[in-house]
Amino acid sequence: MSEKTRTIKVDYLARVEGEGAMHLKIDNGKLTDVKLKIFEPPRFFEGLLRDRAYTEAPDITARICGICPVAYQMSAVHAMENALGLKVEGQLRALRRLLYCGEWISSHTLHIYMLHAPDFLGYPSAVHMAKDHGAAVERGLQLKKVGGEIMTLLGGREIHPINVRVGGFYRVPTKKELQTLVSPLKKARDAAMETVRWVSGFDFPDFTQDYIFVALQHPQEYPFNEGRLVSSHGLDIAAAQYEDYFEEQHVEHSTALHCVLKDGKKAYHVGPMARYALNFDRLPQHIQDTAKGVGLGKVCRNPFKSIAVRSIEVLYACEEALRIIEDYEVPEAPFVEAAVKAGTGYAATEAPRGLLYHRYKISDKGEIEDANIVPPTSQNQKMIEDDLWQFVPQYIDLPDDKLQWHAEQAIRNYDPCISCSAHFLKLTVDRT
Amino acid sequence: MKTAFIIGIGNRHRGDDAAGLRVMDLLKADFATLEHDGEPASLIDAMQGHDRVILVDAVSSGAAAGEIFRLDLQKEGLPGAFTQTSTHSFGIVEAVELARALGKLPPALVFYGIEGKNLAVGDGISPEVQNATETVAASIRAETQEKKHA
Repeated sequence: MSEKTRTIKVDYLARVEGEGAMHLKIDNGKLTDVKLKIFEPPRFFEGLLRDRAYTEAPDITARICGICPVAYQMSAVHAMENALGLKVEGQLRALRRLLYCGEWISSHTLHIYMLHAPDFLGYPSAVHMAKDHGAAVERGLQLKKVGGEIMTLLGGREIHPINVRVGGFYRVPTKKELQTLVSPLKKARDAAMETVRWVSGFDFPDFTQDYIFVALQHPQEYPFNEGRLVSSHGLDIAAAQYEDYFEEQHVEHSTALHCVLKDGKKAYHVGPMARYALNFDRLPQHIQDTAKGVGLGKVCRNPFKSIAVRSIEVLYACEEALRIIEDYEVPEAPFVEAAVKAGTGYAATEAPRGLLYHRYKISDKGEIEDANIVPPTSQNQKMIEDDLWQFVPQYIDLPDDKLQWHAEQAIRNYDPCISCSAHFLKLTVDRT
Repeated sequence: MKTAFIIGIGNRHRGDDAAGLRVMDLLKADFATLEHDGEPASLIDAMQGHDRVILVDAVSSGAAAGEIFRLDLQKEGLPGAFTQTSTHSFGIVEAVELARALGKLPPALVFYGIEGKNLAVGDGISPEVQNATETVAASIRAETQEKKHA
């Protein structure tokens, strides 16, 4: 086998979020090529946003993703508020965190249970897994549902929430409405705790990388909407400086752009493992203890264990949601009014799968003149390829089907926002 | 008579992918309906508590545009061919099979698929698909009517 060329090619179609493909080439037992190709719809949206009113950005960009619309809405409103010099605080700010909790619970749970767990338990899909692990799958569905309920209550509907606006919300919930979430959230918290235990018992391939982690960091909170943009290697900047420190590179094999740090042109890692590594001490003490109890250190560098870190974030999101509801008082107005003025606004927020950067330039009439959106999957794309470059050689002697299994699992570690496509794969193996 | 729960699946902004939603629109006045994007977990949830659910979606199986497929999902699964090119049928197949594996299929579950031609981003629906949506809406009225008198 070693003197042959092996090509492992995975083409997959996605739902509306996009499509991607994986291509591995092995010559004489040596990995010679890794290509991950992701079609990236946000580019299309940036053109679409031009000449539209600044108030439309949250609703238009929410359409970029059916799995993480809240992230797009949050980065959009924060960037617009940055341009207008508007500060949203108090209960309105808390409600935004609550909405984000809903999305994290929903999106993370979908990934943990439906897309990633089958990799670890040896099933080709969640459907196959459900036959043997029905109780676990039911738990995942129930947990995900609670995330959806938060999004529906605050956002008006689950899939593309319509209640978010620059300055706050169109309508804010009553205390009584939010109280309806308490009982489901308490059950969700228990389910999240069980999830942590469940996924921590999986077998993880022995693999670590010395990642450059990049995430938001807030003085007190585990980050959703606000904070400095920091890295594990000393970066500490405002969102407005993002484009000074990061760049998007064109690569021949992909229509999508690869993001790298300008300094050294290195790949970097965004998402749960980055947030966790840079904000561990912002988690409540008992969640830190839970993480330690299941064998997660303060920093996790094994990307296969991202499923466990993700489960810790679900637990945190359930608790944070309960805390926000407990402290909730109906704000005086559902939104803060802003005077329109020309300017450029920047924001980065933490989408479930990592940092989501938005920049908008608006005119004195409030028309969008220019937009730049950098989604997390585009930032992780080069990192995923780097992981494959390191990981595949360790498993190079496996037959193609097993190698493909592990390689796909390695891609899914990042919950790329082609997630729906994850079990939707066509494989061709060419041996010459 | 609200004899069945109609779930239209698709994306209104991807050409013929809106077919399922157009059918749902035609039945809205007389049936309980839901617009859905096909996401499995919430779709399974949406089907619970209903005795009779009818799913309507655009499919892309290589058949002629506007061709109509009707499947009794209690008796058979959705064919793999539908899942290969539709922008979201993966979600429905997954939802139906997950519900089946968990014993959560509604007592009666029927799928109507309309073969699409253009699934590109943008509004507008092909004439063959438009005709098919009217036929499917009429079929659903007829089959639910039959049941009522049965």
